[in-house]
Amino acid sequence: MEHLFIIALTPALSQRERGTRSAFGADLQGNEPIMSIARRLKQQKRYAGPYISLAVAFGTLNGLLLIAQAWYLARVMNAVIFAQAGIDEVRPWLWMLLLLFLVRALLALLAEQSAFRGAARVKVALRDQVYRHIQALGPRYLAGERSGALAEGLTKGIEDLEDYFARFLPAMSLTALVPLAILVVVFPLDWLSGLIMLLTAPLIPLFMILIGKGAEQLNQRQWKELARMGGHFLDVIQGLTTLKLFNASRREAQVIARISDDYRMSTMKVLRVAFLSSAVLEFFSTVSIAIVAIFIGFRLYQLDLPVPDWAGVPEIGFFYGFFILLLAPEFYLPLRNLGTHYHGRMEAIAAAEGLIAILDEPQPGKSDGRLLLRAQAPLHVRFEDLRFAYEPGREALTGASFEIRPGERLALVGPSGSGKTTLISLLLGFIRPDGGRILVDGLDLESLDPEDWRRHLAWLPQSPRLFRGTLLDNIRLGSPHAGMDEVREVARRARADEFIEALPLGYQTPIGERGAGLSGGQIQRIALARTFLHDAPLVVLDEATANLDPDSEAMTEAGIDELARERTLLVVAHRLTTVRRADRILVLDGGRIVESGEHERLLAARGLYHRMVTAYGGAA
Amino acid sequence: MRELWRLWRLFRPYREWILFGFLAALITLLANVTLMAVSGWFIASMAVAGAAGMSMNYFTPAAMIRASAMARTGGRYVERLVTHEATFRLLSSLRVWFYGHLEPLAPARLQQFHSGDLLSRIRSDIDALDNLYIRILVPLLVACASLALFFGFLLLYDTALALAGLSFLLAAGVLVPLWTQHRGAEPGSRMVETDSELRAAAVDGIQGLPELLVYNAADAHAERLHRLSQELTADQDRMSRYTGISQGAVGLSANLALWTLLWLGIPLVQSGRILPPDLAMLALFTLASFEAVAPLPRAFQQLGATITAARRLFAIVDTRPAVDEPRELSPQPSRLDLELRAVRFTYPGGTRPALDRIDLSLPQGKRLAVVGATGSGKSTLLNLLLKFWQPDAGEILLGGYGLGAFRGEDLRRRIAVVSQHTHLFNAAIRENLLLASPEASAGALEQACEIAQIHDFVSALPDGYDTWVGETGVRLSGGQARRIAIARALLKDTPILLLDEPTEGLDAPTERALMAALDRLMEGRTVLLITHRPVGLERMDEILVLDRGRILEQGDHHSLFGSEYYPRLLGLAGQ
Repeated sequence: MEHLFIIALTPALSQRERGTRSAFGADLQGNEPIMSIARRLKQQKRYAGPYISLAVAFGTLNGLLLIAQAWYLARVMNAVIFAQAGIDEVRPWLWMLLLLFLVRALLALLAEQSAFRGAARVKVALRDQVYRHIQALGPRYLAGERSGALAEGLTKGIEDLEDYFARFLPAMSLTALVPLAILVVVFPLDWLSGLIMLLTAPLIPLFMILIGKGAEQLNQRQWKELARMGGHFLDVIQGLTTLKLFNASRREAQVIARISDDYRMSTMKVLRVAFLSSAVLEFFSTVSIAIVAIFIGFRLYQLDLPVPDWAGVPEIGFFYGFFILLLAPEFYLPLRNLGTHYHGRMEAIAAAEGLIAILDEPQPGKSDGRLLLRAQAPLHVRFEDLRFAYEPGREALTGASFEIRPGERLALVGPSGSGKTTLISLLLGFIRPDGGRILVDGLDLESLDPEDWRRHLAWLPQSPRLFRGTLLDNIRLGSPHAGMDEVREVARRARADEFIEALPLGYQTPIGERGAGLSGGQIQRIALARTFLHDAPLVVLDEATANLDPDSEAMTEAGIDELARERTLLVVAHRLTTVRRADRILVLDGGRIVESGEHERLLAARGLYHRMVTAYGGAA
Repeated sequence: MRELWRLWRLFRPYREWILFGFLAALITLLANVTLMAVSGWFIASMAVAGAAGMSMNYFTPAAMIRASAMARTGGRYVERLVTHEATFRLLSSLRVWFYGHLEPLAPARLQQFHSGDLLSRIRSDIDALDNLYIRILVPLLVACASLALFFGFLLLYDTALALAGLSFLLAAGVLVPLWTQHRGAEPGSRMVETDSELRAAAVDGIQGLPELLVYNAADAHAERLHRLSQELTADQDRMSRYTGISQGAVGLSANLALWTLLWLGIPLVQSGRILPPDLAMLALFTLASFEAVAPLPRAFQQLGATITAARRLFAIVDTRPAVDEPRELSPQPSRLDLELRAVRFTYPGGTRPALDRIDLSLPQGKRLAVVGATGSGKSTLLNLLLKFWQPDAGEILLGGYGLGAFRGEDLRRRIAVVSQHTHLFNAAIRENLLLASPEASAGALEQACEIAQIHDFVSALPDGYDTWVGETGVRLSGGQARRIAIARALLKDTPILLLDEPTEGLDAPTERALMAALDRLMEGRTVLLITHRPVGLERMDEILVLDRGRILEQGDHHSLFGSEYYPRLLGLAGQ
């Protein structure tokens, strides 16, 4: 079990590494001390409602009934062994015991359920909160993060919190309550046994901490190595074709054997310490129980104890002696349980680190614009001296000014890194300018209601994403309530109707991973239908770079031509053919507009545009 | 069950370890039961003797208590060490075994499992097998052995007692787990589905965020994620109820066993068939004996998951490689002319041929380009030339010998590939380069990198050639990774060079710079360039235009310029 725990911790390493690596920037969360993460983790308990406290209450009640159960059992034993009692004399106590057994089983069930419910509430609430926070952070934040790691955090990371809230936290409280109740009962009956328990009890958590600290240090030293070795196998499988090309795939088998062996040896080194620590703990509780048992036994047999006479060793009878003996293991049990649930805490802290890092990312100021644009009519957009830098010294836009006239088809070209993507991100509202402004029909974009603005805006990205769901869901992404007739109409206009209707399930065809089963051109046209349905006066189109076959491309272009009618179209162009269709071409370089005009005029000017066109026959 | 048997065959070399682990676990359990039972008897006997003023030998039971306390602690430690050591050894050999079966399947047969997470699933499937030993095999064996011992021990006192004890143990160890499993099957499988839906929604919601925002659908997606999250926890809630019930039931069985023992035992004490202190001993013995069955519900639960994992692994292991390797030694042709004659190939499950009656000839030292759109069959051609697949009809000849006569490794020794997908391993740059030529000197590496125009970049890194790259190291840009691939190809130094869309995804200036490096690489080699971009085509001796598996046009860059399809395909239509 422990080694699983260590393996479970290895993802934490990549988190840690990432945190430190990005620590050059604003993100210092990776270095946040574990203690403060633990504190933040515990704060999330507020989402659990009353359930975790209920679980503790059920657990405590169960512990109290356990004392009663031990009491009745000791009574029965005492009567049978010393009073030669028969079944008839002990029958009421036996029935009492049965009742206690049943109630305690029920309490165990209730405790388990409430603990889970509490944890479930935390999970559901946090997942929602973290995802909405990611949404608020927006595409700019995502550009710097690995989407896989974020998705993992949202799914498995959140699930990893369960054991902490469902097991560790209730166990913590029970550790304080149940042994205390037992002590309260034992002390008046036999203070010597109570004293043994009281003195040995703190040793267990104390040793747990001492040994745990050492193990943790050892752990951390191994972590880096472990993560690399753990990932090796996966790496090799992913690179299998490459290995094969270099005829290295068969020798890799020996490497895997060697690395697995190294992995085993270094992991065992950590585990030996972990196992030793739990062995010591177990030894302590066992020895303590044995001392209690032997002290009771000796007194029952009237032997002298190794205790000074002045202490006045209390007398004890079998009834109390047996009763205390039954309670002794239960006294240490919660303490030992805490140890087993401790890994739940470690796991949760590792997961929480990543989640807290997301939540600590400051949200960009939300646009508080409330102005609404007038009805759907071709828009006029003016960009005024736009400036934007992703970080100081990394300017993406250095004063871009231009306008998009109503109903115009405008192409944007420029070498990579010239600022095309940044311009589009500004227009789509993913980022906000450092300087300058964007005016839409004379109104500052900042003052517009973002949702209303997006209703006037459609966007067809370079590689459109199809979401899990049906084809229909995907076309209706922006207008979930559109009717079937409307959907068929936009599919027809996007030249997507024929292939969709040829599919066995038609519009109800489920979309697999990344649109698996559909060609690049088909995905483009589904996204185009989506754009048609959104029916916005301004369309931003990031031209596909994927190599569609010419027929497919011709169809997509026909669809785009139809879309351009009565709309304003801004195309980020990569191919000469589309550029030529544009009314006007803007050439972007170094974050500003360097040339603009029609194709022929720009060619004649023999500037950057001319160089780009001649370089590779039109690839921009 | 067949899977279990096959797994056991894999485990066989580790019999001794497994036996040792089982013994240690059994000793630990028995020591614990002994400790409890003897303590009960000890106190009762001491009390009886003390009250009656009789003398008794209290050294032996005290020594037994001490010994079993030590045995329990020590036994647990040894058990954990042994079982984990054995598990790691097992996993290590499982990985090697699995890799040995996976290697011949790559890449052709692995495509049919075409999902990004297949690979990580393989890893978790193998790791899931470690449950079989620690969580399933050992607890089951220990439970069987100890139940037999407990039953025998109780028989010494009374048959009815023994039977009652055994039935409660079996109820807790077998009936309860079976019930849990039965009830949990439905929410369990639904949970797996919901979990994958949730995962997909998370990935969609992150990677597709820009589109969700623009289409004002972000809120709806957040709600969908929230709903899935709630559905998942609803089923987990059901599962937790079954876990709670089964835990409660196991505890209840132990208590009921104790209760029955009292009902049956008290009359036996009265009739003198059992000594009074023995009743105390038997009571604690009964309670402690349930430790033997406590891990069983979990074991049964894991069993299902382990069998599923094993089934998935065996499905891969049992897949036949796409290409048969010849038994004879490979031929040693004197010239390396490549020729395809009427080659046809259809992917398994494909509706139309990926390549259909392809003829081409690439004499040694010549350069041939194959251009086409996605799905035209370019990559298939490459897969056939590398012998990752074999053609359904027609033949491929290298130096006059059929490709089938060559062993895969002997063929690939003569071919270097630079592709758009350059896999960089989580290792130092140096090791990534040495892959191509394990014996190459540091000077040779640097020379290759200089030609590939990556040396300046690498030597400027703080750790130079020892810089880690890949997932956990420095991430290289597309152009840099491509240059490493060129350096690798230079180091491999083969007569034949396959370039698979070498400049795909790079911007124009990078593309141009990379072409200069590629020029150096192509010098004096037979080259096959696969591309859909116009770059570098003027350097080719011949160009084939491929469309839907067939050769549509043929010629050189200039002669094809006036053709119908070629300029459209390359986006040259405007010139």
